[in-house]
Amino acid sequence: MTSITETDPPLQTTRARDKREALYPYLLIAPSMITLVVVALIPFLYAIYLSFHEARFGRVTEFAGFANYASLLADERFWNSVSVAATFVFIAVPIEFMLGLAGALILGQNVKGRSILIPLLFMPAMMAPVVVGLLWKIMLAGSWGFISYNVFERFGMFPDTSIFASPDYALYALIFVDIWQWTPFMMLAFFAGLQALPVAPFRAAAIDGAGPLRIFFRLTLPMMTPLLAVIGLLRFIDAFKVFDTMYILTNGGPGTSTETPSILANKMTFEFWNIGEASALAVIVWIAFFIFCNIFYQVAKKRLNAF
Amino acid sequence: MKQSTKVTAALLAGSTFLSVPAWAQESFYTKAAEPYAGTTIRILDEVTPLQEKVFDIIPQFEELTGITVELELLGHAEVINRGQADMLSGRGFYDGVMMHNYQLAPMLTAGVIRSIDDYVADPALSDPDFNADDLIQRPYTTTSFTGGKQYGFNNWNYNEVYWARADLFAHPEEQAAFNEKYGYDLGPAETITQMRDIAEFFTRDAGETLAGETLEADFYGIVLEGIKGGSTFPTLWSALIKNYGGRLLDENGAPAFDSPETVEALTMWAELWSFAPPGIAEYSLVDVPTVMGNGLAAQTLAWSDFVFGVDVPGASPYAGDFVYGPIPFKDGREEERSVEADVSVVVISEASENPEATFLFLQWLASEEAQAALIEAGNGGVPIRQSSWELPAIADSEMTSLYAAMRSTLDVAEAKPKMPDSFEIMDAMSGIAQEVGLGRLTPEEGAAQGQAAMLEICTQCLMQ
Repeated sequence: MTSITETDPPLQTTRARDKREALYPYLLIAPSMITLVVVALIPFLYAIYLSFHEARFGRVTEFAGFANYASLLADERFWNSVSVAATFVFIAVPIEFMLGLAGALILGQNVKGRSILIPLLFMPAMMAPVVVGLLWKIMLAGSWGFISYNVFERFGMFPDTSIFASPDYALYALIFVDIWQWTPFMMLAFFAGLQALPVAPFRAAAIDGAGPLRIFFRLTLPMMTPLLAVIGLLRFIDAFKVFDTMYILTNGGPGTSTETPSILANKMTFEFWNIGEASALAVIVWIAFFIFCNIFYQVAKKRLNAF
Repeated sequence: MKQSTKVTAALLAGSTFLSVPAWAQESFYTKAAEPYAGTTIRILDEVTPLQEKVFDIIPQFEELTGITVELELLGHAEVINRGQADMLSGRGFYDGVMMHNYQLAPMLTAGVIRSIDDYVADPALSDPDFNADDLIQRPYTTTSFTGGKQYGFNNWNYNEVYWARADLFAHPEEQAAFNEKYGYDLGPAETITQMRDIAEFFTRDAGETLAGETLEADFYGIVLEGIKGGSTFPTLWSALIKNYGGRLLDENGAPAFDSPETVEALTMWAELWSFAPPGIAEYSLVDVPTVMGNGLAAQTLAWSDFVFGVDVPGASPYAGDFVYGPIPFKDGREEERSVEADVSVVVISEASENPEATFLFLQWLASEEAQAALIEAGNGGVPIRQSSWELPAIADSEMTSLYAAMRSTLDVAEAKPKMPDSFEIMDAMSGIAQEVGLGRLTPEEGAAQGQAAMLEICTQCLMQ
């Protein structure tokens, strides 16, 4: 019989190794955590700090308490921007979602030319938002835009205005541009999800004589729900933050008819240099999203089996 | 040495000296820059065809002084954002930053612009031949000086002019029809009422006749900048409201927008928009000359420097068919006429580590010599000096009506009042200008909402 002391490492060495092993995962994620803290958390904490201070023209002066928040919440322009963003998101995202899902189901049917179609579908999502803005500006610009001139003017549509110059139509045109840009992405994401579904349940359902609608509602949709929830949430957040295309196409106008919180925050920061109030706006939007995302997460987790 | 050889040598030496360009001779700048030779300065300016010509003359300054100039040209919005951010952060990456006149008050309030008074008073740095009296005085004195201190020399005197289609005005059928309808001769508008009549007269649908030809597309009597931001509100304010006797602020700096004169001007503004292309609310200062160049409108109020890119053979099918004039005034108010000009100055950042070298460059750039070289390089341009009007590139130019219009504008052009909240004010008011133009607000509502928006931003709006 060999003694323990001869074969096993000393207790201290084992503890040290355990400690090292326990630390190892943290070591691996440390670079990304440090990056996240430096580029996201510290600036965000600084934004919170600024939101409680009088900060104009790059100078942080006195503590302002909740004055920036009070001023912002009493500002009609802020509520208008929230309303514009809400209209944008609640029209654009459901349409993108439904068209994307429908397109994915069609693509899943082995349609002819799918291998050519799929790379083409990447194109709008691959374009820089600024390019998308310029592209649609050229298409819909009043009088000289490609579509404005060749379609609207020739067929007497919108005779008294142009799309982006009209407070009635500009927001809907921006929604259209967003749908154009992001529906193909949704389609491809959903298509990838469909391809990953197990085949066996579908075969069994087909043998049992289930029709396409029944298969869709009883099998496809429930199994796709986690993916749909995640993609839908990400698109929702992304659409609320939309900036580039709006900046290029309308810059929030005419009047304030297309001014979203992102456009307003940009103006407050880089035009008005009212950094305290702009930070308060950023914090309010963050809080609203934090609450919304948490509720969504809990619901999706419990009811939809997502996450 | 024979006498004749001596004479030949002297003549050769003399001719060699005379053939050296003035800028390459030993000059004040060479001596003044001795302590700063080898320094590199960075200047941020806005990109326009005229400003690009500065690259052509910078080597002259570098050769004279041994100071290296790194000039960076960016788009309008970016030069404002980046320039201001650099100055406000105290980083001092740029030694000199171009400021539109309405930017000065916010930046002066933030204390990030260096006064040049000490340099102007320093004989070692101040060019004795600078001749500040030759600078076009009203834009210069209202822009470069604030509170008794000087902050720079005007570098750009951008200005608006009246721009119209001479070929339409000269057409006999149009002349006769116009005279019959309005009771006076058709020609470039001198008054705002005439501009309105011309706008109404020439607004025609596709299928109607214009100057003897059937229109394939709608034609418009006027085009104006109407985008949110840009110079939409400055044009409304300076070229209409002030001409009608309205004002933004009273003599104490308090908002005074809701006057009957402003309502009258807004009424005219809305009427002019009704004769403009339907896309007017998205037209920027670039779109306006594009519309003119494409022959879609009869007249406009536009930035004169854009004319150089449009009224040239090959750039527009209507090149040579345009005529220019002073900004129209309100009938009976010629003496109080007002115009829109965006006078700009390159200021020295408070954070600059090379203020003296930067001052020398800016002073040289505004000098008679450099301005002459700049205008020659651009084969014309927008003068900041009275003497520039006499330069061959301008005096002998075929665009006589353009230069006469520019001169008329610059005679009375002035900087905007120094308002620390100028960006917020312009943003709020440009939205109201759009809504009045589009008929979403009546002129009375526009004046009232403008006043309320101003009061929300400031009750005493001038820099203290």
